[in-house]
Amino acid sequence: MLLSLIRIIKFSLQDVVRNVWLSVITVTILCLALFSINTLIVAKIISQGAVDVVKDKVDISLYLKTDATEDQIMALRSDLTNMDQIKNVMYVSKKKALDFFRLKNKNNPEILQSLHELGTNPLSPSLVITPKKTEYIPDLIQKLKSLENDIIESRDFTDNTTILNKINLITRRINQIGMLIIAVFIAISLLVVYNSVRMAVYTHRKEIAIMRLVGASNYFTFMPFVFSSLIYTLASILIIISLFYPFLSLIQPYLETFFMGYNINILSYYLDNFVKMFGLQFAIVAFINIIASLLAVKKYSEV
Amino acid sequence: MIKLFNISKSYINGIKVLDDVSLHIRPGEFVSIVGQSGTGKTTLVKVLIGEEKVDEGKVMIGDWDITNIRRNEVPYLRRQIGVIFQDFKLLPRKTLKENVSFALEVCGRSQNKINKIVPSVMKIVGLEEEQNRYPGEVSGGEQQRTAIARALVHQPKILLADEPTGNLDTINAEEIIDLLLRINNFGTTVILVTHNREVVNRLKKRVITMEHGRIVSDREHGKYLL
Repeated sequence: MLLSLIRIIKFSLQDVVRNVWLSVITVTILCLALFSINTLIVAKIISQGAVDVVKDKVDISLYLKTDATEDQIMALRSDLTNMDQIKNVMYVSKKKALDFFRLKNKNNPEILQSLHELGTNPLSPSLVITPKKTEYIPDLIQKLKSLENDIIESRDFTDNTTILNKINLITRRINQIGMLIIAVFIAISLLVVYNSVRMAVYTHRKEIAIMRLVGASNYFTFMPFVFSSLIYTLASILIIISLFYPFLSLIQPYLETFFMGYNINILSYYLDNFVKMFGLQFAIVAFINIIASLLAVKKYSEV
Repeated sequence: MIKLFNISKSYINGIKVLDDVSLHIRPGEFVSIVGQSGTGKTTLVKVLIGEEKVDEGKVMIGDWDITNIRRNEVPYLRRQIGVIFQDFKLLPRKTLKENVSFALEVCGRSQNKINKIVPSVMKIVGLEEEQNRYPGEVSGGEQQRTAIARALVHQPKILLADEPTGNLDTINAEEIIDLLLRINNFGTTVILVTHNREVVNRLKKRVITMEHGRIVSDREHGKYLL
């Protein structure tokens, strides 16, 4: 058994080396398919990140009375934080609100002058609520509307529902279309891979016939091709890893600039999910290659 | 050794290529099967190596009834019957020695045994000097001798030669026939399928003549009649 395995590996390696151009073509096709799939996955991750950034900007503010004490505000904040739908509640004090207002209008001297002339801080303290999921917002708004607390001066739910519905719709569409494109692309890539392996086996049909002729068992006839398929798959995955990480390193600075202030790091995403991403790709491509090899060998071994 | 009992075979297009053929070939015989193209000679070879199954009749190799041989049994049959063809069927990317060793390697023989058998077989066919060359670098006769060496490594009881001289010039053809005679002298049953009149007439061995899928003549020390 061990001897047979060693010979299968030997024949397979001999075949890969002696038919070097066929091996190069097969691995190139596999690499192109894998690169396309990974590029689509990256596009999906970036688009998802972009949508999350937009969603993150959507929050709900409760404006509080200027005479509300810190204790009252903290008690309300604590009540809100305990709600299931709420991810975070940020307290913006009168002073913070003023600082933020000044920063926001730093290029508008007329507004700053008006503020100066007022002599006092006219802004109210507020609690800025970030929901766990945008889907929770309509329900959350209903809860906040019915929330009874004396220190609440006003509630800002302006048009959030409409915006959120649109964002949710866009997110769903992006996900659906993205998944569809990826699925179609994976199907096309797998068909290309399948055919390229079949072509590789087709060129070996004479060898398969001779193996059968000299009394090779069925197992011995197809195993070298299965092993060659694994070599092609492994080689293409290694090439993709060595090409894709520099590619991700190249685009990461542009992503960071584009999504400044938000944590969208495609490189660390790939590093964190290395085994899952490439392990799964290896398993799927190897599976397709083996199936293609077995079918092709079966077809050409009727001798 | 080989017994055929009233075998018939038709292809999908309805053409009957073997029609009620009965035959008995004894161990150690040298038999030539002759006939024009399309008379069923090659189909007969295919039946004997398990590549084709007959529609009617019975095929026995020794005590083994291979009439309905299963696919997974075919490799074991092929290890008992050496076969050579007109087009040699060598692997172009393996050396002559590797081509011969290959037949033993795929059957799981140990390397020690291969190292012992292959050189002696290469010596029998006279290819010790050329064994490390590739098929494309040697003559047709040398390629056919390699194919014979490959067929012999399993030490088969039967050697089937389907038009082995078809691609060779007269000198090389004679060398191959002489080699087959030598192998026959060692005790191996040789079945030569050919339509080469000179070869058959020179042999003066048993000749079976086929026509339209039937045996029309079977003579000891016969001649090419058609």
